[in-house]
Amino acid sequence: MNADALTFQDMISALERYWASQGCTVMQPYDSEVGAGTFHTATVLRSLGPAAWRTCYPQPCRRPADGRYGENPNRMQHYYQFQVILKPCPQDSQELYLGSLAAIGLDPAEHDVRFVEDDWESPTLGAWGLGWEVWLDGMEVTQYTYFQQVGGIEVDPVPVEITYGLERIAMYIQGVDSVFDLIWSYLPDGTPMTYGDVFLENEREFSAYNFEVANVEMMRAKFEDYEAECHACLEAGLPLPAYDCVMKCSHAFNLLDSRGAISATERANYILRVRTLAKACCESYLELVASRAGASGEEVA
Amino acid sequence: MTETRDYLLEIGTEEMPSAPLMNAQKQLQTLVARGLDEAGLAHGAVRTLSTPRRLAVIVEACATATEEIHDVKRGPAVEIAFDADGNPTKAALGFARKCGVEADALVRRTDTDGRTYVFAEKSIPSAPALPLLAALSERVIGSLEWPNYRSQRWGSEHAGFVRPIRWICALLGGDVVPVSYADVTSGNTTRGHRVLGPGEHVVAEPAVYEQVLESCCVLGEQRRAEVIRAGIASVEAERHGAHVDTPQRIFDEVVNLCEWPSIVVGSFDEAFLAVPHEIIVEAMLKHQRYFPIHAPDGSLTREFVIVSNADPAVNGTVRAGNERVVRPRLDDAKFFYDEDLKIGLETFRARLSQVIFQKRLGTMLQKSERMEALARETAMRATGDDELASLAARAAHLAKADLVSQAVVEFPSQQGVMGGYYAASQGEPAAVAEAISQHYRPRFAGDEMPEGAVGKAVAIADKLDTVCGIFAIDEPPTGSSDPYAVRRAAIGIIAMLRTLERVPLAALIDVALRSYAEQGIEFDFDATAAKVASFFATRLAGIAREEGISVDTIEAVSAVGVIDPDEFIRRARALEDARSNAPELFDDLATAYARAAHLADASLGSAVNETILGDAERALLVACASGERSVEDALAHGDYDAACKALAELREPIDRFFDDVMVMDEDTVVRENRLRLLNRFTEVFADVADIGCLSKK
Repeated sequence: MNADALTFQDMISALERYWASQGCTVMQPYDSEVGAGTFHTATVLRSLGPAAWRTCYPQPCRRPADGRYGENPNRMQHYYQFQVILKPCPQDSQELYLGSLAAIGLDPAEHDVRFVEDDWESPTLGAWGLGWEVWLDGMEVTQYTYFQQVGGIEVDPVPVEITYGLERIAMYIQGVDSVFDLIWSYLPDGTPMTYGDVFLENEREFSAYNFEVANVEMMRAKFEDYEAECHACLEAGLPLPAYDCVMKCSHAFNLLDSRGAISATERANYILRVRTLAKACCESYLELVASRAGASGEEVA
Repeated sequence: MTETRDYLLEIGTEEMPSAPLMNAQKQLQTLVARGLDEAGLAHGAVRTLSTPRRLAVIVEACATATEEIHDVKRGPAVEIAFDADGNPTKAALGFARKCGVEADALVRRTDTDGRTYVFAEKSIPSAPALPLLAALSERVIGSLEWPNYRSQRWGSEHAGFVRPIRWICALLGGDVVPVSYADVTSGNTTRGHRVLGPGEHVVAEPAVYEQVLESCCVLGEQRRAEVIRAGIASVEAERHGAHVDTPQRIFDEVVNLCEWPSIVVGSFDEAFLAVPHEIIVEAMLKHQRYFPIHAPDGSLTREFVIVSNADPAVNGTVRAGNERVVRPRLDDAKFFYDEDLKIGLETFRARLSQVIFQKRLGTMLQKSERMEALARETAMRATGDDELASLAARAAHLAKADLVSQAVVEFPSQQGVMGGYYAASQGEPAAVAEAISQHYRPRFAGDEMPEGAVGKAVAIADKLDTVCGIFAIDEPPTGSSDPYAVRRAAIGIIAMLRTLERVPLAALIDVALRSYAEQGIEFDFDATAAKVASFFATRLAGIAREEGISVDTIEAVSAVGVIDPDEFIRRARALEDARSNAPELFDDLATAYARAAHLADASLGSAVNETILGDAERALLVACASGERSVEDALAHGDYDAACKALAELREPIDRFFDDVMVMDEDTVVRENRLRLLNRFTEVFADVADIGCLSKK
């Protein structure tokens, strides 16, 4: 491992400090299972409406079907993204982003950094945007997207979403070939705590759970229950708890998928149900919260 | 002479995607040239240049002002232009309107002939170029289109572009052309390479634009392509005849992913050479945009070319980084391949029941079952060899199995190829493995065909099954939509059948449709078969045209209803040759045939009463009888030249007949007998060509 490289936790802190200095509100991960940093309310819902918003946060992501029992050096069912939202996107967002690479020890002048077309679409969120995957010496390190629509709604102003793949970048910085060899931190006596020390057991157990144990009937029921709950929350004019229910449905669906319990036609139907809920939450949030905030902002101005 | 200066418009953006960028550069050239003409600004050459972060147009010697226009037109004479009360007449009003002036602006003047007329005088003063260019620039930026792509908004702006615009450099000589678009206002600066020439750089005038770019490490697309080609050439030279594979689309993308390219050579671990090279090459080209290096003997080497956009001083870091990236990619490829090998094609094939071929036509498993019957039939007809037919059936049975293998899910364009590897590794005969591997060929017109008859049989079965299925559900391709690429499939089938002359297409269509019917798909069998046949006939006619056979010859042969490609083309060629050897004879024959066909009344039949024939009639009857025999004989031997020759021999007797005989005799018996003779005459042609088509000039 490279001696002067940042530890995993130092890298997260460095990114937080850097983006805080650019006026981002440093948030914490969404406290429910999500498949990507995008699903955090701080991204999806705050992208709606006219209000300016800048935030950054790390987000553990769960993709049950990607588990490999801790045996693949690159694939896990639980991993980290670091998410930045700048709304409206500033003119110098790319320069700011390159600055963030320098802040974690990757000076863009000493590497080959490219912005390679990679547009983004999320059927479950009814969202799309144009942008790039950012390559560093040929490796995809970041997904960079100018949102255009979220929840089927045109976003205005346009936020830019910057999503770092933390483990992959850390492996590159530290020069290790297995994610489990990443140094997360050091004990006072200098003993390294590795990513494997922190998460290897988690990968093994959750891979077994996701693929072999998760109770299919319970997950189906959970999906139904949270779907109903979501509608109840929407009827009560509470888009945030309603959205929370969408994440629960989505995770239940992912577990059904990893258990191999979903046929091809069922799958399309489940995805459609999640999208319907997510769109309804976005519409409700825009109507009840985001537009209201914007309107009062305009009154002040 | 108007003063001229160079004009520059540079639209500076965040990184644009390759294909839309190339398309926009072409549009930019046209839009600006047309805009200048419309604005009335004289100009010299219009050039464009692009990098991922800019689209620029440079116009040499652009007039700094439009020409002053003074236009005088003479209208009607005064006495016609005004009525008694001195009001303008309709004639005057019409003239004024035509000239674009108000009627009260018409002036009266005496012309050289001494008469007084009204004149329309129009003066457009010279207009300075700067505001015209400003308007033109803004219009051009807003009207670039992004076909097959979309534009985006950014910030709080509502204007769109393919990626956010960050600067505009617009100059007429040394003066800034004031342009604004979205949140950007023009200036006299460009921006350099992100790390090698960062920040803004002043462009004193358009003539030095490219020098300024180069000084801040930015090259236009042509220069970048040259640098990359030169770099690759020296990599090849250093390796004594090695060959670097640079498919055009990937090459274009690579050119449009850098502003200051440099060539770096990386390598991967020896162990990966054991993985099928097709997926290694695809992983490198498609996922990483590396160009694989082949040894002089064509074999894949461990080395590959990386085009870097970084400071050449850090080439070492770039190489090491890229080598780290390629490892897990190739690891994945190897892992998928190794895992797939453990599973076996029969197991994969069973899973095709979960893969939809076409909503109304069922699953891929059903398709592979239909292909099996059709491939067997095709191979049997082509070779007459039971063993080869069984091999074709076996290959068709397994041909689609690899679609659900991990390697093909990951590398879809290697479908077939991977199946070939899996077949070989599970001990299938070499011909089966080869046929599976090649059964997607030909992928486009002129592409390589499967090498053997077994491979061709499977490829034909695959494509013909698709064509017939699409017609069975009555969703034939339209001008704009051909989602199952049935046109390309038909052209592929034709190309292959031309090499398998003994295979009758109509019989294969029958087998293909029968399989659908047995599967329970409901359709009108005969109508569908006819539609498929006519679809092939149209493709065949197109191919014959491309090969230089004249349209009326093709029409004449098509009328016979032949759809077997080889036979069709040989018949058409024979007739075409016969015509060109004796053009007059065939023109004449065609006219006579058309006349006969026109008079003919099929209901009378062709049983001629010989006893009441005159000389000319008898001669024609004899010629018809011998013509029939010759044609039958020639067709039986596939000798279409002889068939045409036999027809040619009818020319004299038919000419004589029409010269000597009055067909429409008043005596019904005589008349009808003559008409029967003409029927007999046209029947001789029936199986060769509708010669009448040749007379419609």
